[in-house]
Amino acid sequence: MSNEVTAVRVALVGKGGSGKSAIAGILARALAQQGARVLAVDSDPMPGLSLSLGLGLVDAPIPDDAVEEKAEGEPGPRFRLRTGLSALDAVDRYAVDAPDGVRFLQFGKLRGHSASLMRSQLAFRQILDDLPPQSWSVVGDLPGGTRQPFYGWARYADTVLVVTEPTAKGLLSGRRLARLALGDARPGRLAAIVNKVTDPGDAEWVRARTGLDVLAAVPLDEAVGDAERHGAAVMDEAPDSQAVAVVTSLAHRLTEDRVGAGIGS
Amino acid sequence: MKLAVVGKGGSGKTTTAAVVARTLARHGTSVVALDCDSNPNLGISLGVGDDETERLIAMRQALDEGEQEHAPGWDDLLDRFGTDAPDGVRLAVVTAIQNPEPGCP
Ligand SMILES: Nc1ncnc2c1ncn2[C@@H]1O[C@H](COP(=O)(O)OP(=O)(O)OP(=O)(O)O)[C@@H](O)[C@H]1O
Ligand SMILES: [Mg+2]
Repeated sequence: MSNEVTAVRVALVGKGGSGKSAIAGILARALAQQGARVLAVDSDPMPGLSLSLGLGLVDAPIPDDAVEEKAEGEPGPRFRLRTGLSALDAVDRYAVDAPDGVRFLQFGKLRGHSASLMRSQLAFRQILDDLPPQSWSVVGDLPGGTRQPFYGWARYADTVLVVTEPTAKGLLSGRRLARLALGDARPGRLAAIVNKVTDPGDAEWVRARTGLDVLAAVPLDEAVGDAERHGAAVMDEAPDSQAVAVVTSLAHRLTEDRVGAGIGS
Repeated sequence: MKLAVVGKGGSGKTTTAAVVARTLARHGTSVVALDCDSNPNLGISLGVGDDETERLIAMRQALDEGEQEHAPGWDDLLDRFGTDAPDGVRLAVVTAIQNPEPGCP
């Protein structure tokens, strides 16, 4: 299998604490282990993906001076990558190496002033627009909740995954996100991941109450909590855990669905 | 007394707020519980259920869309836009769910 046909672009949304970062960390590394070139992106103003990837607490921002205001009369948004700096250059230079060959970038971290956040967000859009979609898989970890749930990602992700806990509050958030996705910014495919599953009926419950297809049911797994406690990746601490096994099959499934859709071939 | 509960996603803000509100109310304090989360679900933890929680949000949304008159004072606001939760807690939703894709991030 060549990289040409296996690239996927996935964004994870969901209620606060549903497990977006934990799953994004495993998913990015599982895709990389399966041979994809992966950019893992933390879009949360309160970042946490670096921990789930096994990098500890590191920062990997697009620095302010990589972004400049467009010239007078130039089309497009107000800020763009500095002249001469391509999307690939930016990933080369500013992304940090994570295990399994994953590259890690942050786009959302709040750094004092909001102008800086806007620069970084516009650079992010440009990078996702320009990064060759056949050769790069992208996993985006988004902020929790329903305030700006898709955070600019709906047009970049081929699949938006709603991470949903099988609880009354979890389902309420899942339903809201499913409803919000019917608006203007409709992602290509919206599906649920049920997380912290303890009952065989959980997946069906989430499907029935949110109307979303369930692509994976990740069990409540002590190994995930233990790794979190140590600030480590569950992929390193417990590669044989059930949670890692389920998310690894999800990575296969997402890739197969892409190949099946004939995209990138 | 005025209490605010903050913290990371999933850390237990809503559950804590609900337990504190109902405990204070059981001890005879009049309690107003305000859901300031942009993904409001305090109603569930307080025990008013899904439908009532969604109804409060719909009312709050209608206010933004100009379909509902604004109330003149805080007590009218609570009257018209609040609901009774167990133990005598009065619940209202402060924030509205926002757009999936803001014009500018
Ligand atoms: N399958 C699982 N089994 C056990 N614990 C889990 C599982 N998935 C996530 N958790 C735990 O749930 C908590 C929240 O996870 P995580 O930080 O990944 O959520 P999040 O959705 O990214 O949160 P936020 O909205 O704050 O960004 C963590 O303590 C994590 O260890
Ligand atoms: Mg997170």
